[in-house]
Amino acid sequence: MASDSGYVDYVAVLGLDPEFKPADARRVYRKKIKDLLIEISQVQVTEERRNRFLLAIAQLNAAFYILRDKDRCDKYLADRAQVMQIEEEWRAQADKTEASDKCRRQFDQALRDFLSVYMEELMLEAGRDPECVENSNWDAAHERHASSVLRRYRQQLFHEIHERLPFYDITQPSVDWDERSRFVAAMIAGGER
Amino acid sequence: MARAPQQKAQVTDAVIAKSFAHTVATGDIVNFRFLFISYSPLRQDSTEDINWPKYEYLLPPDENDALYRSALDLMKQPEILAHVRAQLQRQGPPQLPWEPLMRLADNALRLSKLTTAAQAYEVLRVRRRIQEEFLAQADAALDAGDIRKGVRGYVMASGLDYDYAAFPEPLPAVPNYQERVLILHGEYPKNPEDAVALQTPEVHVRTGLHYLLRNAEIAGRLEARPLALRIEFLEQWIRQTDPQWDEFAARYREACGLAREYGERLEREQRAEQGQQTLADEVEAARDTRDPRGISAALSGRTSLELEWWQYLKDTAYRHPASALFVTRQVVAKDVEIIMPRYRSDSELVRRLGLEAV
Repeated sequence: MASDSGYVDYVAVLGLDPEFKPADARRVYRKKIKDLLIEISQVQVTEERRNRFLLAIAQLNAAFYILRDKDRCDKYLADRAQVMQIEEEWRAQADKTEASDKCRRQFDQALRDFLSVYMEELMLEAGRDPECVENSNWDAAHERHASSVLRRYRQQLFHEIHERLPFYDITQPSVDWDERSRFVAAMIAGGER
Repeated sequence: MARAPQQKAQVTDAVIAKSFAHTVATGDIVNFRFLFISYSPLRQDSTEDINWPKYEYLLPPDENDALYRSALDLMKQPEILAHVRAQLQRQGPPQLPWEPLMRLADNALRLSKLTTAAQAYEVLRVRRRIQEEFLAQADAALDAGDIRKGVRGYVMASGLDYDYAAFPEPLPAVPNYQERVLILHGEYPKNPEDAVALQTPEVHVRTGLHYLLRNAEIAGRLEARPLALRIEFLEQWIRQTDPQWDEFAARYREACGLAREYGERLEREQRAEQGQQTLADEVEAARDTRDPRGISAALSGRTSLELEWWQYLKDTAYRHPASALFVTRQVVAKDVEIIMPRYRSDSELVRRLGLEAV
């Protein structure tokens, strides 16, 4: 079974049961976003924290925006299940060069599409939704700054998923991490050439 | 009349091993990948020929170099050579051999080609873990009071950073101080305390770490450490990454002198406006016709006085990234702005870096 890590689960982001109703999503979203805004107001906002808070708000907004609408929610859940299914198929084919290559390309495209729609586009779209704007105080300045944060987030998820997949563009590395640690120590000491 | 195609000489294992060993020894990932592509001169079915003079650069100029000898031994291993051979005969994307690529990345690090090392480690899917290893060992060195080692670790960890927001695909995060400096000085300081160079030592050091390390997460690891240690860390960072810093410091002190003279000139002009001009002031005013942009030019080491403030700023930050922490923007006339040296007299960092005007 393919891991679901990297395919952000918006139901889990809001902490909902699988059988949730749109009203549950609304109630939990309002509570969580309020708590988050209070937390933000109580700490000194550094660049690192600002990026983290922007991402957290965008995730909550997106979760609510997607899950409160039945059609949007059904499509999201179906797309997520499908991309995970393709990953599993590819893993099963990983030893067969020809079939694996075709499967890998199909998965790569499906994954890119999934991440760009649900981990970037809809996150930004949610920030323009009147109900999300009212609850999260999201505005154009947030969106401007968040666009690069979300792009980075999407690529990180892509790499997180990619890193656990079978090796295809390189032979399977067999890394001796003790040796790596000694190499790093030598580099830091400046004794290596 | 078309020239008849000539029969290409057999590409031998020895040539393949030598060419790859050269890219591995020099930490050259571009040529490493190039040797595998469809028109690689190492492919028997390619129209390109490794024996042509234009491909001389793919072969080692010095076969006695230690890194090259070691890389050649690796490339001559039968299973690696056989894999490379198979990829050179294969149609479609090649599968790179991991051991030469790991060695290439290590050599790139040894040669301070940090972005190349980042690219190779990223392909090997070990970049983040190696970066974390550098940070962990650097933190341990700082805990033990070895600032020099700690800084080396942070320099390498920052150099291995990746920009996942790059378009169209992630790339190594390159040092782009000439761009970052414009953000740092993007707003004109309306009050003296708004100027970067005049921030309190705590804020100034934090600004410096975030600006120079280029990664908020990595810079954030240092925030809990005592101010004195962070100041020493910054000094070491600047000296390790900018070997010409002392030359800049000399120009900076010269620019401080020019700025002081310019200040005196403004005071004379003010007295003249108030009708309190002395004979000495008149003589000085007649003699002093220097362009205030000379201050910016002195900072950047240029002779031209025709540039805009941001051009001097970018130019200086490109060659001496840390310079941006000790300058400020200043309007000197309508539509004329300069950059000039500015620092807090109680700044320990300024003293350590030799920037204090005599």
